[in-house]
Amino acid sequence: MAHLLSFIDTRPEFEIPNPPNPPEPPLSPTKSINAAPKSALLVENDTSLLNLLKRSFKDEGYVVRTAANSEEGLRLYRDCAPFNVVLIDYCVPPSNEGEIDHCALLQTNAIALAMTIRELNPSQGMIIAAFDYRNASEVPRPSELMHIPLLIDISNFQLRSLLEKIEVDRAIESLTSPELLRLQQFADFRVRGLGRAARGRTCEDLLHEALLRTLIGAEDTRQGRHWNKDVDFVMHLTGAMRSISSCWKRQFTEKEAYLISELPIHDAEGQEQSPLDNVASGHTAADQCLIEKDEEDRVLAIFKDDPEAIQVLQGLLDGLKKNEIMLRYGLGEKQYAAAARRIRVKLLGPRNGGSGGEKHGR
Amino acid sequence: MADKKNHDEHLEKLMNQLADSVLGLSDEAICAETREVGADPEQEAEPTRLVLRQASKALDNVNERLSNLGHAINPNDWWRGQWGYHNNCLNCGSSVSVTTSTGGMQGEALDGLCLESDQSPIRKWEASRK
Repeated sequence: MAHLLSFIDTRPEFEIPNPPNPPEPPLSPTKSINAAPKSALLVENDTSLLNLLKRSFKDEGYVVRTAANSEEGLRLYRDCAPFNVVLIDYCVPPSNEGEIDHCALLQTNAIALAMTIRELNPSQGMIIAAFDYRNASEVPRPSELMHIPLLIDISNFQLRSLLEKIEVDRAIESLTSPELLRLQQFADFRVRGLGRAARGRTCEDLLHEALLRTLIGAEDTRQGRHWNKDVDFVMHLTGAMRSISSCWKRQFTEKEAYLISELPIHDAEGQEQSPLDNVASGHTAADQCLIEKDEEDRVLAIFKDDPEAIQVLQGLLDGLKKNEIMLRYGLGEKQYAAAARRIRVKLLGPRNGGSGGEKHGR
Repeated sequence: MADKKNHDEHLEKLMNQLADSVLGLSDEAICAETREVGADPEQEAEPTRLVLRQASKALDNVNERLSNLGHAINPNDWWRGQWGYHNNCLNCGSSVSVTTSTGGMQGEALDGLCLESDQSPIRKWEASRK
């Protein structure tokens, strides 16, 4: 391993000229991801592997450009960048001139190409293919490239997963402040709506779970919620959060009641006992009812000097839609919107348990 | 009991409607509301990006650790438990779990090298297409 690592710091086989033009800016915003066709640059000299990779990328909807060596790869990158993803074989030769079979030199060229692309566009999505290695720890890389995912296994699902991850990571970086605020406030209100069913989870937990579910699992087994690129990323995440919070609520209700037959217990002498002997009444304690009622009253009390906000809140608590609330209380469009805005601002304010650095939903 | 259910449902409906109302706000409106609370929209927004990055990184850490040990998992085979996700190495069958809230990982797959991972790339690819 040490002898391989020693080559990483050596100069590359080909000299990297200064870029003729300033580097391409990172792709943004999110919308552009959906609008443009996806493109990939594959730098791989083994024809059979290249064909397999091309097929996999095309299956995933990518327009593919290919290069058989690092020199050609760099030229293509400069001519055609940006790409959604660049895949570089770890052992790609520097050029077509002459046969080089010194493995370490080949690796150095792949590393040099990856480093150059990184300098040209620090946010370029890249994958390093290292099919000749059994595991990632055997693949020497400089620290600057440690974050680049390795493709050790050429299986189509591993590649698909890496491509999905690159797109999701890019979408996260492309989110604007208003989009992030929308996600945060949406998560905040959804967790508050769960009340005790949140079981200690916070809005951060909901966001975290929504992203994990985007990245893992398969839609067809109902274990995951992959991002359909025709849908805006914010809409996708809010849809996932809606589904997850509803699921948490259902799970909580399901766990409240058990059949006696499901809870057989025995005393020290092996005699069967009723599980209810040692359990308090199944009815919700009076103090708990008061807590629930208090929360509703507390929300209404915040707006005691704002009659229009009280009307909108009362309408929402009664399950009415916007138009029904406006009709019931004779509110105009502007009055309704202003009252709704005051409600959001006050509820999200730190003093009322909002997102101003406090955890809630406990 | 009925009262409790009503209060729960009322509050849930109210909060869910408020959540939906946020999605209809323009960029300017949501930034203005954030300023009204006394916060800077940019500063208030960035922690959310961090949460998303951390979730993505948590999965990276698991994949990197498994890859370092030579294990291969099918990303489509993760299944959801109550507090996390579970999977098995395709080569040796050992298990791995990720805890959703903390991003922590457990399982026998993390205890040592995969002893069944020595296959050629083409064979692995062909096996995965079946």
